Amino acid sequence: MSNEEAVLQVEGLTKIYRSLFTPAGVKAVDDLNLSVRRGETYSIVGPNGSGKTTTLKILLGLIFPTGGTTSIFGKGISDLSVRARIGFLPEDAYLYDCFNGEELLDFYAGLFGFSSRRRAELVEELLSLVGMQANRRVPFRECSKGMRQRLALAQALVNDPELLILDEPTSGLDPAGRHQMTRLILELKRRGKTILLCSHFLAEVEEVCDRVGIMYRGRLVAEGTLAELAGEPTEILITVTGLEGAAAEKVGGQAGVMEVRDGVVRMSKADEGQLWAVLEFIHRAGGVIVEVTRPRPTLQDVFVRAIGEEAK
Amino acid sequence: MSAALGKLLFIIGLAIVAAVVAITRKAWAPAAGHALPSIWRIAKITVAEARRRRVIQAVMVLVVMIIVSMNFFSYLSPHEQSRMLISGGLASITVFGILLSIFVAAFMIPQEIENRTVYAILSKPVRRFEFVMGKYLGALIILGAIIGILTVVLVGVLVFQDRLVQDLPDSKFDPNLGPVVFAAIMSYFALAVLTALIILISTVASTTMTVLSAFIIWAVGSLQSQIYELAENAAGATKLLLFIIYNVVPKLENFDFRHQVSNMMPVSVISGWHAVIHGIGYTLVVLILAAIFFNDRQV
Repeated sequence: MSNEEAVLQVEGLTKIYRSLFTPAGVKAVDDLNLSVRRGETYSIVGPNGSGKTTTLKILLGLIFPTGGTTSIFGKGISDLSVRARIGFLPEDAYLYDCFNGEELLDFYAGLFGFSSRRRAELVEELLSLVGMQANRRVPFRECSKGMRQRLALAQALVNDPELLILDEPTSGLDPAGRHQMTRLILELKRRGKTILLCSHFLAEVEEVCDRVGIMYRGRLVAEGTLAELAGEPTEILITVTGLEGAAAEKVGGQAGVMEVRDGVVRMSKADEGQLWAVLEFIHRAGGVIVEVTRPRPTLQDVFVRAIGEEAK
Repeated sequence: MSAALGKLLFIIGLAIVAAVVAITRKAWAPAAGHALPSIWRIAKITVAEARRRRVIQAVMVLVVMIIVSMNFFSYLSPHEQSRMLISGGLASITVFGILLSIFVAAFMIPQEIENRTVYAILSKPVRRFEFVMGKYLGALIILGAIIGILTVVLVGVLVFQDRLVQDLPDSKFDPNLGPVVFAAIMSYFALAVLTALIILISTVASTTMTVLSAFIIWAVGSLQSQIYELAENAAGATKLLLFIIYNVVPKLENFDFRHQVSNMMPVSVISGWHAVIHGIGYTLVVLILAAIFFNDRQV
């Protein structure tokens, strides 16, 4: 991948937190390398304390790295022109709680130097985008978690950013709120935004992301597209009804069949050549074939596998 | 020795300001056009936030009530009452101003970090020094508005009392309004210096430490002449330490004209201006240090 394609580049990033009680320090990020391409949605996933938020905070210049470099649009984060092209949604939506949505968005838009007329337009557009018109005058402290999260996303969009950095955008939301937020992220993706996202919710990551990086103990232990991470299907599942007792046992004894349990016949993908023979045998044994699938491992499976291997 | 040391420290301070400005000129000059609106925006939201804090409103109502209630000490002679009103009113303004200054300034930046509201600001095109300056400007506006309102109330009370007693025989109330306003303005300048110092401390220390330090600085700053006398009579390391304290801690008592005003003594405007100019230089150095420290702070 050439540098021109990369909107965000991290090389050898290391962050060690030192304190009086831990003079040797705690390594929060350890020699991290990653890059995010223009227009893609990249997600960093990992368990608590894996260094995801620390990485984002370094990228945004909120904390400083112990080693390594970061660049966004080819420049350092201290460059104001870079920050003018970024939008950031912090975890747990921390905004001034005594102001309402209108006031907050007007304030954040003002930090980009927009005129009062443009700010008024932006406030309307953004409240409409995140579905907060009806609650525009509700003080932030009285907003529900979902409303807060949507307002926080709106403030991240005041400058129509090219790169959006979202830290746990669905954290603490109920299923309806999560669905709404996922739809908003997909809409932003459709509009061509480059998105870097940190999340615990693997299902949501699977839904919106093009590439995923799995972080564990500060290191990137796996990275790639979902297909790359999941790899090729390793087994074939045949869902069957009407196959019980001795008939099921007979099917289990067929060449290539690994297991018959709860109406599902499991075959190794390596024995795909035996599939038709097995299907015919099931049919003759009185079973009704409902479906044949070659499932890929889910992100959850990949995540558990990657973390498990590292933990060993 | 101390006067010379004071002048030397002042010159060193100005030299630091000049050096920092010269060194960082390339960095801030292109952004200067952007900095002022950002500082103003942050100041405005700081003021708006303070306006909605009920505790400030409640304490202010209390202070207004204290000033107004002083009007009802009818057993005093008009002259004594005038003295008491001026002295008590200015003392209320000063004490409330100091408490407010500590309350507003000590919590301002640490609370932004603890509440993480700073993330959404510093991830925007806002430099850290703009954030610190915006917060300071906001605190100045809040303090200015409150000191202004309380001064107007005090002046109103004095005028009201003057009207009430002017027909009485053998009474000279003499509210002495000009010096009263002058003393209130000088209190405001003292608070401006104190606020800058509290903000500097808050960029490196916890909120508790900042509040504690603020009270100590206020106490020491108000007793600088006594500290000078102590230093003159001390020896060795104690002498040096006291001279350092005398020269580093702002001389808040130079801004205090309450005694002269309430006792109808002549007020030296020149010494007031001297204190203001010294205070501005001191504040500039302190704010530059605050910006430098906050620039390196991990939030």
